[in-house]
Amino acid sequence: MSAEVEQPQIPIVKKKPNCFVGFANLPNQVHRKSIKKGFQFTLMVVGESGLGKSTLINTLFNTSVYPNKEHLEAEEPPKTIKIETITTNLEENGIKLKLNVIDTPGFGDFVNNETSWKPILEEIETRFDLYLEQENKVNRKKIVDERVHACLYFIAPTGHSLKPLDIEFMKRLHHRVNLIPVIAKSDLLTEEEVAGFKARIMEDISYNKIQIYRPPIYENDDPETLQENKEIVLRMPFAVVGCDKEIEMKKKKVRGRQYPWGIIDVDNEDHCDFIKLRQMLIRTHMEELREYTNEVLYENYRSNKLIASGNEFGDGGNPLARFEEEKRAHEAKMTKMEAEMKMVFQQKVQEKKNKLMQSDADLHARHKEMKEKLVNQRRELEETKRQLESGARPGTPEKSRKGKGYFK
Amino acid sequence: MSSPNNFIGIANLPNQRHKIVSRKGAHFTIMVVGESGAGKTTFINTLFAALMREYQNEEKRFQKQLERTVEIEIIRAEIEEKGFNVQLTIIDTPGFGDYVNNSDCWVPIVEFIDEQHLNYMKQERKANRRNIDDMRVHACLYFIQPTGHTLKPLDIEVMKQLGSRVNLIPVISKADTITRADLTAFKNRILDCIKFHNINVFCPPIQSDDEDTTRRNTAIANAMPYAVIGSEQDVVTPDGRRVKGRQYLWGVAEVENEEHCDFKKLRNLLIRTHMDSLISTTEEVHYEDYRANRLTKEGRTDDDPQVRKLFDAKMKEEEDALRKRFTEQVRTEESKFRKWEQELIDERDRLNKDLEAEHSAVQALKAEIEALKSPVQARSPRK
Ligand SMILES: Nc1nc2c(ncn2[C@@H]2O[C@H](COP(=O)(O)OP(=O)(O)O)[C@@H](O)[C@H]2O)c(=O)[nH]1
Ligand SMILES: Nc1nc2c(ncn2[C@@H]2O[C@H](COP(=O)(O)OP(=O)(O)O)[C@@H](O)[C@H]2O)c(=O)[nH]1
Ligand SMILES: [Mg+2]
Ligand SMILES: [Mg+2]
Repeated sequence: MSAEVEQPQIPIVKKKPNCFVGFANLPNQVHRKSIKKGFQFTLMVVGESGLGKSTLINTLFNTSVYPNKEHLEAEEPPKTIKIETITTNLEENGIKLKLNVIDTPGFGDFVNNETSWKPILEEIETRFDLYLEQENKVNRKKIVDERVHACLYFIAPTGHSLKPLDIEFMKRLHHRVNLIPVIAKSDLLTEEEVAGFKARIMEDISYNKIQIYRPPIYENDDPETLQENKEIVLRMPFAVVGCDKEIEMKKKKVRGRQYPWGIIDVDNEDHCDFIKLRQMLIRTHMEELREYTNEVLYENYRSNKLIASGNEFGDGGNPLARFEEEKRAHEAKMTKMEAEMKMVFQQKVQEKKNKLMQSDADLHARHKEMKEKLVNQRRELEETKRQLESGARPGTPEKSRKGKGYFK
Repeated sequence: MSSPNNFIGIANLPNQRHKIVSRKGAHFTIMVVGESGAGKTTFINTLFAALMREYQNEEKRFQKQLERTVEIEIIRAEIEEKGFNVQLTIIDTPGFGDYVNNSDCWVPIVEFIDEQHLNYMKQERKANRRNIDDMRVHACLYFIQPTGHTLKPLDIEVMKQLGSRVNLIPVISKADTITRADLTAFKNRILDCIKFHNINVFCPPIQSDDEDTTRRNTAIANAMPYAVIGSEQDVVTPDGRRVKGRQYLWGVAEVENEEHCDFKKLRNLLIRTHMDSLISTTEEVHYEDYRANRLTKEGRTDDDPQVRKLFDAKMKEEEDALRKRFTEQVRTEESKFRKWEQELIDERDRLNKDLEAEHSAVQALKAEIEALKSPVQARSPRK
């Protein structure tokens, strides 16, 4: 099948209807449909154990996505990085969200964490592959999207800067997933420490050319949206505090952590960036994260993969095309095999032929030589005999050869 | 923002979708099919409230019978409405049904529709698919002449073909030329005919959470086939309103008056309320069907392990055949050599015999000589 797609070039004319046609209703139609269909999101959390990943997820979605730790106290530390997915169905004002959270227990918990990023990258790519495979099916009415739409990366609140492991991880993954770095348990740092820590982290990120997810800016955004996004970006990396239990504060119930010196209120923007993270991750950019995953991250992965496998012009993943390819490879292999076999064969035949011809020649040569000797001997003997018969003295006769066969 | 703690923000997701769609705009492709003079061009210009399509140049009518083909004309326009961008593609089919013999005149139209699906399929398979040119037809309006009778055999044939490929929407043009009572009867006959011939027409989804919407959707669905009046002219009604319509001595036929025709319902169906439904039905049903069919014809199945097994078996078979061929060649060659070797052995034996004969002669001579040298001994056995 020809790979080129020819489309006639048709000029596009700008038209201005002289009354309202109704195209501008389309977003409302999609809005309505989306309510009916519901939403779906896959979020990955990565970070050393005990950084508050499970707690933050529970806090973000105000749900026990992860059951209370108390029961699971005696959990054994894993030997390898595990990939654990939990699916939760959430609903708010009639809007449904199927949330998949992928945890990666074990990350950063070993003595040697050099390749900790690997199983996680593999997981992300496997999910891309799975999607690609579904896309190439003949029947794709039941396609499911399990691609990772965002990855919350938990930075330990050391107050220093990024650790080599953090940098390595982010560098390895930023082209495959929307990275959202967060400073875990930021209540362990003072306001000043947080500010310095954030600045150093951002320096590390830009020095290492790490691409973290930022709300995209569109030319038609209204000033309010632009301002909102700007405030979000200013708070990056979000210093978060997680807490899924409510406590009483000034007769009001708040989600917070109580210390002798006071209560840190998760939902207070002065205390931490939890609100901003939730703002971006759920309230304003959840669908944008999905769009970016689908249109940029996945497309890049897909086209790289197809080009690398020599499949630039489509038929990508088409099993039949794959077979075609394999068939061609197989035919090439067969041709080579045949040529090699032929060569060896001809060589062997030639060798054998030469050998036989040589034997034949040797045989006759030796025969000739011996025959000549014998004939000579005979002539000499005949001569001797004649002389003897005529009374002359004979010469010394030659010693003749013994044995029956002359050639073997 | 200080919203209550228990508000997560999931309820915002539809708004996020809304925003994304608003930002991206839309592609919409509409096709009009029907005999010339049916009012296709007028309808398009009325629907989009702009001169989208120049009216037919009557000078061309002399060439018509010679060409004998349906032309397919594509117009691409960009329309902006309240900041929302639409890339509109209009596909017109002038010349349809203009000939004495119109059998198969729909073939180029159907081929065009299939070709758009195929083009999309090819582009979708490419490694780089960032700028896909998508001309899949989202809605195909079939214009039925307001004869008041029923569908003609040509209508039935064409509608059958179209309905199996695209969202087909039957339209009765020039509704102002047919009375209400006649129209109702005409519509019923057409619907019966559609049902009888199993013609697949687009039915908008009706069910909705909101009663008003459900009622409105039902009204739209029930109005099919849509009787429309086309006019770009602004005229004044006897009661002094400026409207789009056709001015007759006996009154004004108004385009946007639901008492006069179904234009508004059709516009709702096409644009205001069901455009998304037309687009997604095209992409998820018609295109997917086309693609699945095509791939199946190419021999594709999703049942990979089966294909893989057959494939692997075939490859192995070929390799075995090659080996066998060589083994045979080697065998024939070997037998040739064996024959040759045998010949050599025979030759050797022959030569040995020859030498032995010579040797015996020599030995005999030697004995004779010995005998001659010692005459006493030698002579006695001789004598
Ligand atoms: N100080 C502080 N402790 C936290 C925070 N989030 C969670 N924790 C506590 O840290 C411990 C580990 O939390 P968990 O969510 O299980 O961490 P994970 O292993 O990363 O999932 C628990 O005792 C939590 O109560 C936080 O923001 N600040
Ligand atoms: N009575 C009546 N005439 C119409 C209507 N729409 C179009 N016409 C006329 O029908 C003729 C052919 O229309 P046109 O749009 O060029 O038809 P096309 O060949 O299908 O594109 C023109 O004279 C139009 O003015 C209508 O709704 N009612
Ligand atoms: Mg945990
Ligand atoms: Mg026309």
